[in-house]
Amino acid sequence: MMVTIQSLVKRFGDFVAVDNVSLSVDKGEVFGFLGPNGAGKSTTIRILCGLLDPTSGAATVAGYRVGEQSEEIRRNIGYMSQKFSLYDDLTVEENIDFYAGLYSVPRAELSARKDYVLKMAGIAERRKDLTSLLAGGWKQRLALGCAILHSPPVLFLDEPTSGVDPIARRQFWDLIYDLSAEGHTVFVTTHYMEEAEHCHRLALMYKGRVIALGTPAGLKRERNAASMEEVFIQSIEAEEAHAA
Amino acid sequence: MWERIRVVIRKEFLQTLRNPRTRVMLIVPPIMQLLIFGFAANLDIENARIAFQDGDCTPESRDLRARFDASPYFEVTYDIDRESDVQRLLDKGEVLAVVRVLPGYSKRPAVQVLVDGTNSNNASIVSGYANRLVAGNVSFAETRVWFNPELKSRYYFIPGVVMNILTIITMMLTGLALVREREIGTMEQLLVSPLRPVELILGKTLPFVVIGFFQFYLILIAARLVFQVPFRGSLLLLTFAAALYLLTTLGSGVLISTISKTQQQAVLTTFLYFMPVFMFSGFTFPVRNMPDAVRWVAMINPQHYFIDILRGVFLKGSGFDALWQPMLALAVIGTVLLGASVLRFRKTLE
Amino acid sequence: MKLQRLNAVLRKELLHIMRDPRSLALALMMPVLLLVLFSFALSLDVDHIPTLIYDQDQTPASRELIAKFRGSPYFSIDGYVSSYQEIDKAIDRGTILLAVVIQRDFKSVQLLLDGTDSNTASIARSYAESVVTRQRPRVEVRTRVWYNSSLESKNFIVPGLISVILMIIAALLTSLTIAREWETGTLEQLLSTPLRSNEFILGKLGAFCVLGVLDAIIAIVTAVFVFHIPFRGSLPFLGLATGVFLIGAFSWGLFLSSISETQLQAFQMGMLSSFLPAFLLSGFIYAIENMPVPIQIVSYLFPSRYFIAILKATFLKGLGFPELWTQLLALIVYAVAVSTLAMRRTRTKVA
Repeated sequence: MMVTIQSLVKRFGDFVAVDNVSLSVDKGEVFGFLGPNGAGKSTTIRILCGLLDPTSGAATVAGYRVGEQSEEIRRNIGYMSQKFSLYDDLTVEENIDFYAGLYSVPRAELSARKDYVLKMAGIAERRKDLTSLLAGGWKQRLALGCAILHSPPVLFLDEPTSGVDPIARRQFWDLIYDLSAEGHTVFVTTHYMEEAEHCHRLALMYKGRVIALGTPAGLKRERNAASMEEVFIQSIEAEEAHAA
Repeated sequence: MWERIRVVIRKEFLQTLRNPRTRVMLIVPPIMQLLIFGFAANLDIENARIAFQDGDCTPESRDLRARFDASPYFEVTYDIDRESDVQRLLDKGEVLAVVRVLPGYSKRPAVQVLVDGTNSNNASIVSGYANRLVAGNVSFAETRVWFNPELKSRYYFIPGVVMNILTIITMMLTGLALVREREIGTMEQLLVSPLRPVELILGKTLPFVVIGFFQFYLILIAARLVFQVPFRGSLLLLTFAAALYLLTTLGSGVLISTISKTQQQAVLTTFLYFMPVFMFSGFTFPVRNMPDAVRWVAMINPQHYFIDILRGVFLKGSGFDALWQPMLALAVIGTVLLGASVLRFRKTLE
Repeated sequence: MKLQRLNAVLRKELLHIMRDPRSLALALMMPVLLLVLFSFALSLDVDHIPTLIYDQDQTPASRELIAKFRGSPYFSIDGYVSSYQEIDKAIDRGTILLAVVIQRDFKSVQLLLDGTDSNTASIARSYAESVVTRQRPRVEVRTRVWYNSSLESKNFIVPGLISVILMIIAALLTSLTIAREWETGTLEQLLSTPLRSNEFILGKLGAFCVLGVLDAIIAIVTAVFVFHIPFRGSLPFLGLATGVFLIGAFSWGLFLSSISETQLQAFQMGMLSSFLPAFLLSGFIYAIENMPVPIQIVSYLFPSRYFIAILKATFLKGLGFPELWTQLLALIVYAVAVSTLAMRRTRTKVA
């Protein structure tokens, strides 16, 4: 198991953002985290990346314990935040060089990795361009590229396709599949229902809890639904009824 | 239109006052500035450390030493035995001056005063006091000092501090607030709405005017209570003058925001503008001392006029008849600055 | 601590600085601008004091006294009046600072001063009184001024100004940088990488120190060669002190930036804790010994105080390590303490 989460809880004062979540992700899986805004997806990812401390519960990433072995975890993950935080006043190449330095990509491999990332993201001819000049879709791919420079076993992508056009989104998912085929584990959050179909397995989050867990096909079959959207709506309605 | 302005004002106030840190920043910095300036900014000499070398050892010379000791301006911390002490004490900065009574003082009084000129200002004052003390009680010259009889430099500075505090809030924070919206991206959102540029400017600056005045009165009260700075003029007149001065600071702030793309640039530009303006205002360095070629800068400097008004109202009890000229100057400069900034602001939106 | 990561941060920061030519130009121009201001335009020197004379005596003796005033460079006689009302008006309006009233029969001389500008008034009073008493000298007083015999205020202001300039640059540049990374979201990204907080801080420090050293060189060179401020001491020692001072000043700004939520907050805190103390509590213009004791104690906390002492002593008194090592030690302690503080306090978590 590349990622395991056991009874994870995160409270902000009275508000419970993550409510007793447990699941696990296999090597090479593309695991999707779906749910409306405020469901707790980003919070969970941030805990796994070491950006937030959990209130209680345990988790492991790439075999290392979250909270205790943060250094090892950081070396073995790639993270793409919602704002794909790149430095606008640096060029594409300079951004890549910077992250390569942070992840200690060995000098000997640097050039090769850089070319690989540039090619994968399709921005090879734009390596000298200022990042601020790139359109949304390119920025997003550059951000992904910076996250995989050091070929991490686990990738955390937080809403990587928000605000990007459908064609770019499709291409992005092709990239994710390629990475998965190469053995990377990809943990993705999204609120686009159609993208759910692309995942090997997924978890539906609502108000901090996992209300559905399984493969897209399996979930649809279970609930007798035609689309992921229906699965989602049904699950939420069931949840609300349960709570009432 | 007023409805829209009101809405913007409300948003600014909410953003500013909701954050506990910002709330603290509204009260603490002005008070701290006042206290630090009030207590620290002091060019007066009191208990200046001096060394005394008695080369005569007569009753007359000992009498001189006693007079130095008794004076509130001096404190004799060293009686020199060895010649080398003189150099050492001055080099290390342990005394500001060395008073050497030369042999034969009782017959022909002659005294040498060696002053550490590193701080020339202090040196002038110290040597002046020393001279006076040595010359003895001069009933021959009677001195009367107007407005500030004890010559407390505090009374000279604190009106200026009041101005500073008003300036910082209204100029710097206004400009920064405008740039911040642009940096974050919410500016676009505002511009898509029916909000007109003038309304946006008014809405964004009026809260800072209110806050500025709040701090202004706060500091006035503190200056009276803590430092007993005399206030001999009309508060109403001062308030009116302050409002005119605000025209200039708000105009500057908005103008700077139109030429800055990031907050960092706004900060640096404001500072680059503020420093010379501050220096040329007559706050510490008298305008009179400036070379003619440069004095015209003080003539177009709103701070220069406002400081004159402040000092006039505080210390001289001046009224409108004495102050209408600087007030008119403020009004003119303010209108020009504010007008220019609004025009530029409109342009940057296109 | 990995050098590769530190280098990555260092290079990135230098790129940021170079990519913002406006800020860069401002940062480098500021020393020159301020030096020009202070050396040419601003002075505390007192001369050409506007004076009015009211001679009630009108004898050769009184005219002799008036001639002394007229001949002195310190006074500028604006006019001769024959009533107190004229003097009243002139002082009120602020056109004169001093009125010399010679009483009938030369019994005594009355000096009337506008005390609003207490500093100038003090000095003017001293000068005027010494002119008067020299008429009837009882004691011969010879005054000699050391180190700054021309008593030019620029000689004592400019060395201290270098400290103020560097402190301002430090406060302005560094106070925003981390807060900005936080506001734009790049800090969060960095936190998910193996980058350690000491590498982060040191990388930023390194880049800013490059800028700071440039500024220091510009300031010192301008002061000595353009404004002819005498430099009599040890240049290597001053260089060392400057370097240590910069590290401390920049670290403080970084610390403020790391605990601020927004750039606005960082800026305000920077102004309050860097600029004001550098200007007021460092001995730059206002002598520390003249301040109330509690404030004097507070001034020990700020590095500018020690740096200004070093600057003034190396420029004007020609001193070096043997006399100034305690100040240098204070600067070193400050730099180490504050940079450690900045590294400790830099966020490692998002919330």
